[in-house]
Amino acid sequence: MMSAARQDVAALPDAMARGLVLLGRALPWVALLAVAITLPFVANNYWAVIASRAAIYWVLVAGLNLVVGFAGQLAIGYVALLTLGAYTSSVLVARLGLDPFVSFAAAGAVGAIAGVVVGLPALRLRTFYFAMTTLGFATIVTQVALAWQSVTGGGVGVAGPVMPAPFDTPWGFYVFCLVCAALSTWVTMNVARSRFGRALVALRDAEVAAEANGVSKPALLLSVFLLSGGSAAVAGGLFATLQSYITPDAFTFDLSVLFFIAILIGGRGSILGPLLGTILLTVLPEFAAPLVAWSTFLYAALLLAIVLLMPGGIADLLDFRNRTALADDRAILPRPALLSAMLDHIAARDSIMLRGVVLSFGGVRAIDGLDLDIRPGEVHGLIGPNGSGKTTTLNVISGFNAPEAGTVLLGTAPMRAGTPWTRAAHGIARTFQTPRSIGEASVLENVMVGGTIAGRGTLLESLFTLPRHRTDERLLTERGMQALRIVGLDALAGVRADRLQHSELRFMEIARALMLHPAFLLLDEPAAGLSAEEIRRLGELIVQISRRGTGILLVEHHADLIFDICDRITVLNLGRQLAAGTPAQIRAHKEVVSAYLGG
Amino acid sequence: MVSFVTRRDFTRGGVALGIAATALPRPAISANDPIRIGWLAALTGPSSTPAIGFDRGVRYAVQQINAAGGVKGRMIELVTRDTQGDPTKAVNATQEMISRQGVHAIWGPTNSGESLAVTPIMARFKMPNMHPCVVDSLIDAVKYPNAFRLAPSNGQWDDAVRSYCLNIVKAKKVAVIGDTTGYGVSAVNASVAAFRKDGADVVYQAQIDATQPDVMPDMLRMKNGGAEAIVVWSVSAAMEARLFNARDTLHWDVPFVGHPAMGTGDIKGLVSKPANWDKVYIIGYRSCSFDASGKLPDHTQAFVDSVKGKIELADTSLWWVVSGVDVINLVAKAVAETGSTASPDIIGYWNTVKDYPGLFGDFTFTPQQHNGYPTSEVVMSKANSAHMGAFELAPGYAS
Amino acid sequence: MLPNIIAAGLAIGAVYALIGVTYNVMFSASRVMSFTAGQLGMAGGVLGALFITRLGVPAIIGFPLALGGCALLGVVTEIVAVRPVLSSLEKHLYVLSTLAFALMIQQFTAIEWSTEPQPFPRLFGLGNGGVADEKFWLPVIACAVSVGGLEFLYRHTLVGRAFLAIAEDNFAARALGLPERNLRMASFALAGAIGGLAGFSAGELLLAFFANGALLNFYGFVPVALGGLGNNRGAVIGGLGLGLFQQAANFIVGGVFASVAVFAVFIIVLLAAPQGLFGVPPARRV
Repeated sequence: MMSAARQDVAALPDAMARGLVLLGRALPWVALLAVAITLPFVANNYWAVIASRAAIYWVLVAGLNLVVGFAGQLAIGYVALLTLGAYTSSVLVARLGLDPFVSFAAAGAVGAIAGVVVGLPALRLRTFYFAMTTLGFATIVTQVALAWQSVTGGGVGVAGPVMPAPFDTPWGFYVFCLVCAALSTWVTMNVARSRFGRALVALRDAEVAAEANGVSKPALLLSVFLLSGGSAAVAGGLFATLQSYITPDAFTFDLSVLFFIAILIGGRGSILGPLLGTILLTVLPEFAAPLVAWSTFLYAALLLAIVLLMPGGIADLLDFRNRTALADDRAILPRPALLSAMLDHIAARDSIMLRGVVLSFGGVRAIDGLDLDIRPGEVHGLIGPNGSGKTTTLNVISGFNAPEAGTVLLGTAPMRAGTPWTRAAHGIARTFQTPRSIGEASVLENVMVGGTIAGRGTLLESLFTLPRHRTDERLLTERGMQALRIVGLDALAGVRADRLQHSELRFMEIARALMLHPAFLLLDEPAAGLSAEEIRRLGELIVQISRRGTGILLVEHHADLIFDICDRITVLNLGRQLAAGTPAQIRAHKEVVSAYLGG
Repeated sequence: MVSFVTRRDFTRGGVALGIAATALPRPAISANDPIRIGWLAALTGPSSTPAIGFDRGVRYAVQQINAAGGVKGRMIELVTRDTQGDPTKAVNATQEMISRQGVHAIWGPTNSGESLAVTPIMARFKMPNMHPCVVDSLIDAVKYPNAFRLAPSNGQWDDAVRSYCLNIVKAKKVAVIGDTTGYGVSAVNASVAAFRKDGADVVYQAQIDATQPDVMPDMLRMKNGGAEAIVVWSVSAAMEARLFNARDTLHWDVPFVGHPAMGTGDIKGLVSKPANWDKVYIIGYRSCSFDASGKLPDHTQAFVDSVKGKIELADTSLWWVVSGVDVINLVAKAVAETGSTASPDIIGYWNTVKDYPGLFGDFTFTPQQHNGYPTSEVVMSKANSAHMGAFELAPGYAS
Repeated sequence: MLPNIIAAGLAIGAVYALIGVTYNVMFSASRVMSFTAGQLGMAGGVLGALFITRLGVPAIIGFPLALGGCALLGVVTEIVAVRPVLSSLEKHLYVLSTLAFALMIQQFTAIEWSTEPQPFPRLFGLGNGGVADEKFWLPVIACAVSVGGLEFLYRHTLVGRAFLAIAEDNFAARALGLPERNLRMASFALAGAIGGLAGFSAGELLLAFFANGALLNFYGFVPVALGGLGNNRGAVIGGLGLGLFQQAANFIVGGVFASVAVFAVFIIVLLAAPQGLFGVPPARRV
């Protein structure tokens, strides 16, 4: 994933090394810009048209990249927004005599709203279904353009906007498109390197973790649809200008496929990759004239090849950073002593209290009248046989499942059920039974997701890297490195998370949870898959976290760990409390011994 | 020496190569530079059938001229680009032809959607352009002084169809239907308006989706409305075949009148019996029609005879092939007469063409009128009478 | 007019329902929604026309040949576009791989077969274009036979229950010794044959046309969306309902607005009931 230079730069000791890395990172962009600027001086008008077209497509693809590449929403029918933008700006200029620049802005506004409408189903539907609805929208827009003859000219179409001098020559218009493309690149890159971009990718690859960290899927997705819809529509206006006349048959399904494939070829979560992909797909047909009849077939074959062989796309190819080998004998050495930098000693506060919680799945009662307290500064163990309802209890507290009966209170106030993204604001953090991480993001980026709600800047400020955005990024980066130092993974900060060992992922989840400066920490079997030494270090870390005042609920199977570090233990069986008390009491409890501990 | 293929040569009977008198010898400015003609052809993809036909005529004419020594010693170089009917590719190809290939004139594109997009570009660069696309607004001698139309406009088609319905079929009530493409929608609207202006009663007007599997409800509505003729503006042979079959099921003998697509060979396999294809009348051209005695006009016959074995005619329409030949000749003649390939010279020459005896028709262009095909030569043909790409005249036409 | 609308609506609805069943069978075998369902329908019509009309093979042989070709296409889909991505952690790659493969099938047909609809042979010569014409009731019969056959297969035969087992719980099925891969391939072959049957029986209605693939892809998906994923009976009801609605819309508002109406209603219904009118909510995700 394209990531800020800061991560691995932060790891470099030497200013000159830092400079070189930045230079290497900037090189492809500099090269592209150089080509773009020198083109008018060395090429004829034909290349002006081709280059303008590539720039226009990129304006659309850059926005769509946020939707498809970053958010992982398969919006296949995006030509609908290109059509909408093209017709809006053309009709405004041709019928109402508006200035072309105003018409582009108006198209952008219309497209933004339409983008939200097209994107709404994504909140309710699964992937394939959503993809189909976008196809439906594409058809609806084209048919409306065809039928609404009085406005759109119907089948005969309408003239595109005409630019004023000096933009009315091929190269003049190219310069304008280039500026738009550069702006799109800058804006989307800023999103990518902000907490919103990270949150988007988190929603894509680790949705439950994202929600547990306070990311609100509807708000974020709709903002992204707004942005990408607007830029797609502006691209439509530029497209209509380049074509000089638009008819419904210019907006083919093939175009949608082209945009889509450009992103996939480029690699999701990257900006440079899809840009290169767009340029490639725009320019390629011009060199392969005899194959033009097969062009769509070849695009599809290329897509299939990429998906099967190189799902990471061009971005993967260019990811030299992650080619260096990692040491095999890495050890995780947490430094609990550093906790004081992150977690201030928290004064006595409210507890989380479950009273009489009941929850069924189908006919099975997963939780059957449970009372539980998590007090600040206490490590509370939750044990029981498989299927006794331990993870379900965590899910109820986290808000992923709403109980049928009973209450979940924070202090005296009940916590809203079914809204997991509200928990982070209460300072409740958690880890998961199977680590939920973003494979193609770096360890530091994964951890920074944990602090998403700690940022103050809005998306708009991030778009243009206004001061609050920069402050947020600095804050989150520092905090992330702190958390990594605490869990002992700081040496791997710039490494892609999917290269990590299982135990490292577990500690990474804890680092992510620490980003919230949590008042409560819910741990779901954090020791599963860890070696004995790692379990010991984990236990020490958990104890130190609780000493800082955090209330911890520890679901575990490792009896040794539970009895070593817990202040209180609750034993579950068949969704009910079987026993509760101090470790000594539980160890002696007859029923627990026979049902669970054995011997 | 100039050689090019004209109708006059055919009336002399026989040899395709004729030698016309040259003007005073002019200094050879760029004596060996080829004459580059751009050809924007939708050779593949949907709606490729016309372009394939044009292409045969174009290639033949270029080959003939070059074999006879070219135009004043200059060979013709054909620059073909397959646009697949996509306006985006058409724009790219047009700019390439203008800026990169340096063509002197462009023939095509063959689809109105493409032409609407490239006409302004060609106008900006003053590229001499001839095309066969029907949309009326494509030709405007003031806005696009460089664009000329070699074939009838949709207005001329509509006039021919309407006049046949009102004057020969003598229908007072008509139904007008089309498909759901851009062309179908606009053609139907224009046609209905014109019928009403002429005092006819349009009992039914509809756009039928070309993939609609059953057209019976529409046919029933037309029958119940008392339609005496059904005007069809659609390029979809499948939809039209369904209409013919439905007519047979209803035991109704209303005539279908309209778009030439109703005469394509595909329909033969799509009708449930051959008789369903009777009483269908399509736009045709006198130059490519068999008269009552079954004969083509002499010059056309001579052309057909001379290309036997060289051009396949049975699976295409003759008028496409001959127009392709005509346009190459018009470009060649312009260069020959003016001695130059500069754009103002070619355009200037075309503006003076009067009753030029092309194979397809007698073309006349003036600085104010760039629609060159005479309306009188548009006729109606019997759709199921295709033979060697030409059709029989519909009943009611004097031969 | 009403009898015509109903006949056409039921016929085309049966085709949509069958394509929905094709989606369901492929989903049942692999938990993957494949974009190739509609293309299989298109292939049924094209292969039928190819063998019977163009190559002159008698219909009695052409029919199984066409179905066999489609079954083969189904198996190739499984091998090329489904199996390689099943093992990947990235859940949505299958949408892309099957989309890519479907596009390849469509474009190949467009270039090699024709871009215009080609005639489909008249199979029995029954009916004369009116309401009782074979083109209307062939798809309905095909649909009834397929759905009935599938129910029998899933409920009363070992193979059918094995199909269900590998879909319900992959690991458990493998632990029991069921040959998961072969069963999945067989399931896709079956799906291919059903799709091919849909297209073949619809041949006289839709003709042998490459663009049928995209059309059937979408309209065949609507029954699945409405009826609930994996629910064949729901697909039949959804399909027939869609067919009737579409024909009625064509009649009332005409060709251009009918498709807008269908798409709009589809999106609205789906938003109101994301699992379909008869579907079940998905399992827990944490």
